[in-house]
Amino acid sequence: MVRYVVRKACGWLLLIVVATNVTFFLASWFLDPRSNYRDLRPVRSREQIAHALEPYGLSPDWSVVHRWWFWLSDVVLRFDWGHSPTGVPVNAEIPQRALVSGQLILLGTLASVVIGVALGVWTATRQYGLADRAALAVSIVLFNVPTAVGALAFVLGAVWLNQRAGTTVLHVASASTPGVEGTWASITDRAGHLILPTLNLTVLGYVSWHLTQRALLLDTINADFVRTARATGLTRAQAVRRHALRASLIPTVTSIAFTIPAVFTGAIITETVFGWEGMGRYFTQTIARNDVDGVVAVAAFGAAATAIGAILSDLATVALDPRVRAS
Amino acid sequence: MPAARLGRVRLYARRFTRSRSALTGVVIFVLLVVYATAGGHLAGRDWSAQDFLALTRPPGPGHWFGTNQGGNDVLAQSVHGLQRSLVIALSVSALTTVVSAVAGAGAAYLGGRVERLTLLIIHFLLVVPSFLILALVSNRVSGDWRILIPLLTFVTAVLPARVIWSVSTSLRERDYVLAAEFMDVSRWRIVARHIIPHLGALLVVNLMLGVVNAVLLETALSFLGFGVKTPDVSLGSLLADGGSTISSAPWLFAVPAGLLVLLTVSLTLIGDGLRDALDPTSAAGGRG
Repeated sequence: MVRYVVRKACGWLLLIVVATNVTFFLASWFLDPRSNYRDLRPVRSREQIAHALEPYGLSPDWSVVHRWWFWLSDVVLRFDWGHSPTGVPVNAEIPQRALVSGQLILLGTLASVVIGVALGVWTATRQYGLADRAALAVSIVLFNVPTAVGALAFVLGAVWLNQRAGTTVLHVASASTPGVEGTWASITDRAGHLILPTLNLTVLGYVSWHLTQRALLLDTINADFVRTARATGLTRAQAVRRHALRASLIPTVTSIAFTIPAVFTGAIITETVFGWEGMGRYFTQTIARNDVDGVVAVAAFGAAATAIGAILSDLATVALDPRVRAS
Repeated sequence: MPAARLGRVRLYARRFTRSRSALTGVVIFVLLVVYATAGGHLAGRDWSAQDFLALTRPPGPGHWFGTNQGGNDVLAQSVHGLQRSLVIALSVSALTTVVSAVAGAGAAYLGGRVERLTLLIIHFLLVVPSFLILALVSNRVSGDWRILIPLLTFVTAVLPARVIWSVSTSLRERDYVLAAEFMDVSRWRIVARHIIPHLGALLVVNLMLGVVNAVLLETALSFLGFGVKTPDVSLGSLLADGGSTISSAPWLFAVPAGLLVLLTVSLTLIGDGLRDALDPTSAAGGRG
């Protein structure tokens, strides 16, 4: 089991390394760190700009391979992910932001999968009933709501609620209130800020799980092995739960990893709307500020999130599917 | 045999029109297209014209959907934005269908080095954060919608190409492909005339759902400021403008948001209806 996980992790690590390095070349190609200095007054000369960028390994006089080597050796030898063109170290930004985005992505994915699968099972056992039709109609509409529209609608609703209540019931901006002291107070404060963004990711994310799980369970619910299970004396609910559901969960679980990039894209927009200083905001800020090293760090975070999801879904597949051997 | 062909098309049409939700989708979509092409006359002024006597005015006579901070008529802007979003999404989806069909079916039939290289590119693009690459490049070309089209196509074609490849690997083993080979038909001709037509149903459904995908992607990009940029507007950039004044001027958010949801929901309903109609095992049109 441990060997299986290690082998999988090594494969993903290789992919992360490749993806990160390719992003470095793409970012160096499409972003121009010099533009951060062009608007400064007094006007800087070409040499002055190159001189200012050199300590960060971003000098335009260096070849791309030279810059890449500077960046790579810093990452490998000192785990230093570089600097923005104005000298802010990437390492100072990442831990806090990764934590903020990590909890958003984790909670959003978990809640979406649990709610979506539960709803899929519940409606599949009532196919073409009133509950099934109603849930399907809601899901088809939600499936088509762009993340930005959903997030802004939540803000609108929360602002209205806060005005009606006269106090701040739901926080609509930033990840925490500045100046909150004490462990317990800051935990409840952070949790309060988490509600709306997580709700947004969940409401728009559960839909695909609902629809696929419903279709998958409908495929297996009339299978011969479920009828055999009924014949041994199980009730319909028991047969569905122990036999049909377990078989139909396998494809769902394997696809969790491949939805994480989409969740991350959703998190970028959600963080923008709710003013969270996470990796998603960092994504937009670094691209807008021509911050090559920052963009590469975001790509590495995205790839790492996908890898973690993939390994977890592999483990779950091993637990669910007796045909997959982990040795 | 033209009669048989007509019969099949008629069968598809009958199955499609039997689905009430698919027809609702068609009606909404047609209304949206009419709005995008003729809605400008309703506004009575150009989308970029500014009315300095009516800044941030709520919906009312004169400006049916209100105005924004710069005095632009929201109705005229939404018509233009819908046009932009529609043109981008429809052309991206059409191109994506063609590219993914040629790449997927071509790789499966030609095999060997072509297949390995195509699969390598596809798998690589599935791992690298494609949204990041999209934002990087699109930000650099500073939001020209004509460049956005091939860019979005490149990113959205990856997944369908993979699906089409795996379906085509079974098609290439069929007897009629072998027969065509014995008749000395050229390889690309076999791909174009003997393999791709058998993917018809899949491609049509991909085409419709691809439009939804393209609309959502374009909206996300423009909302973050990396897609269509000022002075041009799309539904995504209108949404971003509306988002910043959501509590003081909610109509700036409501108009593009409503149009977006109507557009994507109608396209999904049409796509689902088409899938049911083209499915050989479908129960939607069997009786009568």
